[in-house]
Amino acid sequence: MHKGARPVLSVNQLSKAFSGKTVVKDVTFELYPGEILALVGENGAGKSTTKNMLCGLLTPTLGQIFVEGEEVPEIQGVEQGISAVHQELSLFPSLTVAENLCINDLPGSALNVDWHETQRLATEQLAFLGVEIDILANVESLGAGKQQIVEIAKASMHANKILILDEPTTSLTVPEREKLFSIMRMLKERGVAMIFISHFMDEVYAMADKFVALRDGTQVGTGYLKDVPRRELEALMVGRAIGESAFDLHKPSEKIALSINNLSSHRFDKVSLAVASGEILGIAGLMGAGRTELVESIFGIRAASGDIYIDNEQVSPASVSKMKKKGVVYVTEDRRKNGMFSGRSVKENSSAAGLSYFVKQLVKGLGFSGEREAVARLSQDMNVSTPSIDASVRQLSGGNQQKVLLGRWLATKPKICILDEPTKGVDIGAKFEIHKKIVAFAKQGVAVIVVSSDLQELLDVSHRIMVMRTGHMVGEFERENFDAVKIISLAASSVHEQSQQVAS
Amino acid sequence: MKLNNYKFFEQNWSAIAVATLVLCVFLTIASPAFMSFANMQSVLVQASVTAIMAVGMTYIIIGGGIDISIGAILFFISSVFAELFVATGSYPLALGVSLITGVLLGAVNGFLAIKFKVTPLITTLATYTIYRGMAIHLTGAQNIPVPREIGYLGNGSFLGIPVPILLMVLVTILGVYLIQKTRFGLYLRAVGSSEESAHESSLPIMRVTVLAYLIGGLTAALAGLILIARVGGLQSDIGIGLEFTVIAAVILGGTKLSGGSGSILGSVIGAIFLVLIDNGLNMLNASPYVYDTVRGIVLLVAVIVDRLSEVRKSRELIKNSAMKMRGTTS
Repeated sequence: MHKGARPVLSVNQLSKAFSGKTVVKDVTFELYPGEILALVGENGAGKSTTKNMLCGLLTPTLGQIFVEGEEVPEIQGVEQGISAVHQELSLFPSLTVAENLCINDLPGSALNVDWHETQRLATEQLAFLGVEIDILANVESLGAGKQQIVEIAKASMHANKILILDEPTTSLTVPEREKLFSIMRMLKERGVAMIFISHFMDEVYAMADKFVALRDGTQVGTGYLKDVPRRELEALMVGRAIGESAFDLHKPSEKIALSINNLSSHRFDKVSLAVASGEILGIAGLMGAGRTELVESIFGIRAASGDIYIDNEQVSPASVSKMKKKGVVYVTEDRRKNGMFSGRSVKENSSAAGLSYFVKQLVKGLGFSGEREAVARLSQDMNVSTPSIDASVRQLSGGNQQKVLLGRWLATKPKICILDEPTKGVDIGAKFEIHKKIVAFAKQGVAVIVVSSDLQELLDVSHRIMVMRTGHMVGEFERENFDAVKIISLAASSVHEQSQQVAS
Repeated sequence: MKLNNYKFFEQNWSAIAVATLVLCVFLTIASPAFMSFANMQSVLVQASVTAIMAVGMTYIIIGGGIDISIGAILFFISSVFAELFVATGSYPLALGVSLITGVLLGAVNGFLAIKFKVTPLITTLATYTIYRGMAIHLTGAQNIPVPREIGYLGNGSFLGIPVPILLMVLVTILGVYLIQKTRFGLYLRAVGSSEESAHESSLPIMRVTVLAYLIGGLTAALAGLILIARVGGLQSDIGIGLEFTVIAAVILGGTKLSGGSGSILGSVIGAIFLVLIDNGLNMLNASPYVYDTVRGIVLLVAVIVDRLSEVRKSRELIKNSAMKMRGTTS
């Protein structure tokens, strides 16, 4: 296939460790001019770290890198003709398209920038990519799709050898995505090699020539996509034995605790679901599928239209205070930003939401003696390992912080509990304990919704899993029919293949 | 203008220009004395100090910062000038040292603001106190009369045009040039637009930011010299509250406090507009005690109108993207 050509990039056993802990191990591949390599793996498989090593943001701990046959200690980026388009755009919103494209290499002198030349270069670059964008428009006035294209135009202006694209299609509409793909094909023809990171398997198969699959930080496979059927690749990514789950779940009651009907906002569309008391409903999907937005709307943080019923009583439009009164709690995905009072003690963090419950238990007078006792009991209950309940919550590990946060809300004796990524950044041991708590909790009759990017977690604790993709519910699985590969491919196919109807 | 890169520039200052024009028409009708050559000249001379400082402040705000110590810089520079001139009798020496000191004080603000990542509002609140304290220490809080020679800066004229107006025009032209034609101008707007992106593009963030604050210090120094020349001496309350008038002028001129874009010309017109309000109230025999209130109300109305148009724009954007999403996925 590459007679006589030499790889533009070749890496051998690239590894990265942070403070002794290996996060990426043994990434090995060769990339030839005009080739597209797909870097695939689940969330947290090590794609970002690998990408950052390949675009020069991180220096590998081990391994060799050859750029056009020459061994280099690390990737330099633009100087070697390598450039990356990251998920977060690196454009300047209030500058024009032309200014954004040329800012790294302005024509003219420092005291007299040649704007005519700038505009000519920008026009030329956009014409080459075959896109029509007003070069004098401010970037912030463009839609997400056009911004993405400007970003790619900018990156490929400076990198003529390798372009790294990290999830470039997540915020794009279908026509915009097609535009992007035609640009990629054009660059491919020009001999630019690309590393394409995507969750969407059909995109990978449509665009890429070869793949590198990562799982838990290790390269688990590489090869040409034409030799590997999609199912096989997906199984490679998921990897784990999909079988007996860790928990023997109880049977939930028949009584519907929470139901929503045709809930819509600009991030999701006509979502309907119902959760029974004692049931654990998992919501699976990729980042950006609208899961967090959905549960935030249910909890009343974000505006949405549609009906929400609690115990068959209409409560929409939802507001946080109304939901709290109805016994709904929401444990946020980002505990550091939205959940923890990070300078305060374990005690205060635990009791912040349930203070009224503790105070009620006081026999007489004021004071917080009830709080100490209750928090001590709660901490023990939740198995929080802390030197004392007066210790600052900042000193605790992520897992223990999460337990404190869960305990805080569970202490309010909720009826409906929404958990967004309940074990994000938590080690395996604590994860299992948190899962146990969630199951025990549901057993007491609480309806639980768990949003998670960790599919294994959902498979372990859920009675039922619903799959969300680009703002739509696209599938539903009962526990006896759980199929990890099916769920992943449903969450990750970008075009609506035969989407299952959602039963509400 | 078609091939020029400054679409932003056309948009930002148009509102204040129209408002100024309307105000002028109104005052011309309301008061016959308004549209006289003498009054116009006096308005522009009065506006020159604020306008020159507003040019510097626009740089700082475009770069995503703010500097509330410029009134204190102005006071300190004036003190340095007065003390040095009285002590040595050398006009060029005093002038040179004053301007260089202005540059240094501004640069210190910029360095502190960017280096330690403390909100520039807090950083410059601290330097405001320090600079004013240093000036009080230097002068012993005494009023110092300035010799006649420097009166030229404030009261002299060249080819029949008052020197403060000439300096204002000069600073404006230089200011517009720097932001429009130089690499620094683009980098400054870039840094103010997104510091993370600037970091990723490895733009010289530190240099650009310090330069913006430095220009702020320099314009404050120049404005200080004009002010004491016009007043004929240094008083210890000079420049108090001036930073807020300057910031008001910049905001009225269409520059956003969020940084990234702005208009030098708008700021200058904003400064003139504020003087026109005073002038008009004076012409209409309003009580001098209502001036501040009126100025405040004007600023409030301006920012609310601006905010409403922003909100409308972003609503449309969200609506459009939502429609797009439905259109392609259902």
